Amino acid sequence: MSVIEILTRVDAICKKYDKYDIEKQKDSNVAGDDAFARLYAAIESDIEAALQKAETASQEKSRASAVAINAEIRRTKARLLEEVPKLQRLAVKKVKGLSTEEFAARNDLALALPDRIQAIPDGGAAAPKQTGGWGTSAPRKEIKFDSDGRFDSEYFQQTEESNQFRQEYEMRKIRQDQGLDVIAEGLDTLKNMAHDMNEELDRQVPLMDEIDTKVDQATSDLKNTNVRLKDTVNKLRSSRNFCIDIILLCIILGIAAYLYNALKK
Amino acid sequence: MANSDPDKLISKADKLTKLSMTRWSADWKSATVLYEQAANAYRLAKNYEKAKEAFEKASKGQEMLSSPWDAAKHMESAAVLAKEAGNWKEVSEFSRHASELYTECGRSQPASDALAKGARALEDVAPEEAIQLYTDACDALEEDGKEQMAFDLYRAATSVYIKLEKYADAATFLLRWALSADKCNATHSQCKAYLSAIIVYLYAHDFQQAEKCYNDCCQVEAFLNSDQNRAASRLLSAYTEGDVEEIKRAAQSSIISNLDHVIIKLARKLPTGDVSAFKMDAKDQEEPLDEDDLT
Repeated sequence: MSVIEILTRVDAICKKYDKYDIEKQKDSNVAGDDAFARLYAAIESDIEAALQKAETASQEKSRASAVAINAEIRRTKARLLEEVPKLQRLAVKKVKGLSTEEFAARNDLALALPDRIQAIPDGGAAAPKQTGGWGTSAPRKEIKFDSDGRFDSEYFQQTEESNQFRQEYEMRKIRQDQGLDVIAEGLDTLKNMAHDMNEELDRQVPLMDEIDTKVDQATSDLKNTNVRLKDTVNKLRSSRNFCIDIILLCIILGIAAYLYNALKK
Repeated sequence: MANSDPDKLISKADKLTKLSMTRWSADWKSATVLYEQAANAYRLAKNYEKAKEAFEKASKGQEMLSSPWDAAKHMESAAVLAKEAGNWKEVSEFSRHASELYTECGRSQPASDALAKGARALEDVAPEEAIQLYTDACDALEEDGKEQMAFDLYRAATSVYIKLEKYADAATFLLRWALSADKCNATHSQCKAYLSAIIVYLYAHDFQQAEKCYNDCCQVEAFLNSDQNRAASRLLSAYTEGDVEEIKRAAQSSIISNLDHVIIKLARKLPTGDVSAFKMDAKDQEEPLDEDDLT
């Protein structure tokens, strides 16, 4: 029996006996009629999930993942805080089958939710220490200057250092400009040469094509000639003619020798 | 045969070709051979006059033998020897004849080369004739669609014009060069030619012409988008302002230094004459507008 078969069988059995699962029934039943209870349950589960994520974040070794998880938690908190007003409105509604105590309790629960949501740790506790160093006070209505508005000539006096610095900056800028000018001239020359080379090559393309055709022609001519030459030489060298030539030559030499002998005598 | 006296060869060949009572048709084949040998012998002996004549006759012989290529080759040699002999009229005549024979063969490149060689020989002595030959050489190439090869000829002809101080003609020729470059899509050469024309006009101290030329050239898109356009506008605006320093600086720019050296020499000598005169001209042109123009 393969794993997949086992899984399907288990699924079928579970589905069959779902109706006997008390806890599941309780959850679905309880939340079935009551909108408040449903929403409350959803928010609760979200808070639980957020708390769990906060735990994993605190245990995370890598800063980047910790930061990412914290950001997620913050997003969830914001979302939940938005849902709370909805919940509060639902809490006021009368639902049948509910006792007066439970009704009062609902309101309290709804009010207690925001605090619980804010209490979820999201790694934001460390930040306030850094923001303290910026020197801006929390109420933003007052923005204070350090010098209380005394902007007289002394304030803008250039110090020695800043003067020197400015001069150096100017000198460097001028030198840089000179260098760039030299480069620009060199590039101009290069561009000109490149253009000229381009045109020269364009000029030579048809010439090369002509050479190509002519050389092809010459090659084929040569091949032709070679073949014909080979045929001719073969014909001349054919062994039969050769033998006949040798025999006739011998006969003539023999006759000449005979005559020579005859005349000598 | 090669060692025998070239005079004797010539007389022999002449006898072969002259029609008389005994000879009813000229024997050009052997005559041509003899003529060629005689001509080579004369050339070795540095007897230019005689060699030239011998080459002439050899060329005629080849013509009779319906081989224009060889005829043209002999004509060219004759032209070279005429140059050595210092007979300038004949140089041009022979060059032209050679080029015609080459064109008969259907080969335009050697035709223009023959004319160019003649022109080069005549540059110092008879520049007008040289220019004529250069122009004809350019025409020969352009007819055959080989404008790219003509660029060198245009350059040489322009330098001759400038040597003769015929600036208007030089500028016109440069514009012709630009047209030829346009036909074969050589935009770089085209823009350089336009810029050179403008500089030549400015050197001739003819500002109106230079401006007209610039306006005409701006109609051409290739020029409009090029560096040369910028250099030209810079130069012309320096002229309208009458700022001598600015003119000098514009003329020293690297774009102008990429042109032909003859043109660079002209550019370095700018401005010629009084530049402030142009400033006033520009202002005069504006005033009548103010009076008549009511818009």
